[in-house]
Amino acid sequence: MSEAPVDLTCELMAQSLAAWRVAGAVARAHDGAIVICGARKEIRIEAAPSDPTFRWMVTIDGRKRRAISIVGVLRQVREALDPGYVANRVRVALTAVVPY
Amino acid sequence: MPADMIPISVLTGFLGSGKTTILGHLLSQSGFSRTAVIINEFGEVGLDHELVEASEDSFIELKTGCLCCKIRSDLAQTLQDLLQRRDAGKCSAFDRIVIETSGLADPAPILQTLMTDTSIAGRLVLGGVVATVDTVTGAGTLRREDISQKQVAIADKIVLTKLDLSGPAPPALLRRLTELNAGAPVLSADRGKIDAQCLFSAGPYDPDARSLDVKSWLAEERHSHARHDADIQAYAIVRKAPIGAVTLTLFLETLAEHCGADLLRLKGIVNIAESPDRPAVIHGVQHVFHAPAWLKRWPSDDRNSRIVFITRRVPQRWVEALLEAISAEVADVSLAR
Repeated sequence: MSEAPVDLTCELMAQSLAAWRVAGAVARAHDGAIVICGARKEIRIEAAPSDPTFRWMVTIDGRKRRAISIVGVLRQVREALDPGYVANRVRVALTAVVPY
Repeated sequence: MPADMIPISVLTGFLGSGKTTILGHLLSQSGFSRTAVIINEFGEVGLDHELVEASEDSFIELKTGCLCCKIRSDLAQTLQDLLQRRDAGKCSAFDRIVIETSGLADPAPILQTLMTDTSIAGRLVLGGVVATVDTVTGAGTLRREDISQKQVAIADKIVLTKLDLSGPAPPALLRRLTELNAGAPVLSADRGKIDAQCLFSAGPYDPDARSLDVKSWLAEERHSHARHDADIQAYAIVRKAPIGAVTLTLFLETLAEHCGADLLRLKGIVNIAESPDRPAVIHGVQHVFHAPAWLKRWPSDDRNSRIVFITRRVPQRWVEALLEAISAEVADVSLAR
């Protein structure tokens, strides 16, 4: 994984804490991992060990879970930090926005 | 386009803001006579339907509760029944439907019902959302009533009413309307009178121009720097670089997942990397999105992607960071292949 996605993920996590109104901090560790401290949890986000399917490894209070993409990382982080969070599933409208 | 694809529009606005008066005048105009009307009143005794003259057989009053929370399924059923009666020649052959919501209704769930109910899909095309605002009490109502802000924020057009009582619209009210929804043209009704065509000619789809009314959506973009409202916010994000189709899909899916009801409305024109000459138009209400509509060509020389957001407490910077992070990841995966 190149550095750009990691930097932008770090920024996304910082903005996410603000958006979710969760007090906490986001920083880069010496080994390059993204570390989030908030809601009495410590979360580490780093590139997954070489794996063709999963790009990310998310460690929450010592428990490791892999994630396919940044979308999965964001979901795991939110579930950990925001207990009231209920994900919405996108629905595709049946009615046309233009006639067909 | 099948001849029986019918535009359906929503007339919303806070209690006493003049919706029924406007509807009454609209229905008296010749170009608007072939209109089926659904009025939703809140309370045990409905009066609004008595105040509007319309053909009995294409006029329906829904009074079992507020459309946005209690009787959404009733709305879908009513529309289905209406279409069946029209098909069977049992009512006037209307070519447009208008729903007048109760003054306390949140228009977003109503739009969702119109977008997702299987019983009416394929027969209706989403017309405009029009919100009425009373110039005498509107500024105060917008300060006090969250639902009033939402009605304005989600509208395609805003109509000022009661100007005969207030004189020129108060500048503070106009500023507030711009803050909440700069993309919506602000029109005026003279004692309820307003040209029907200019009012309902545009929604996401403009049935008269037979195209998507993208230009008016994008008016929001020019004002997005002026947003300081703490609760409902409207802003636009602009991207010069084309956006990959996968990036857009992941972006919209993540917005829907995390924002849900706080994503009041999203509208935009997107330069898709895989389709440089035919931009995609996207439209969503809360977590419900239309499949992208593909324009035949760009409406102007501006090839930037422009997406307008009307949200409740969803920071612009988070939306931008999300798009940037997903774009970078998709690019990184593509390079690694």
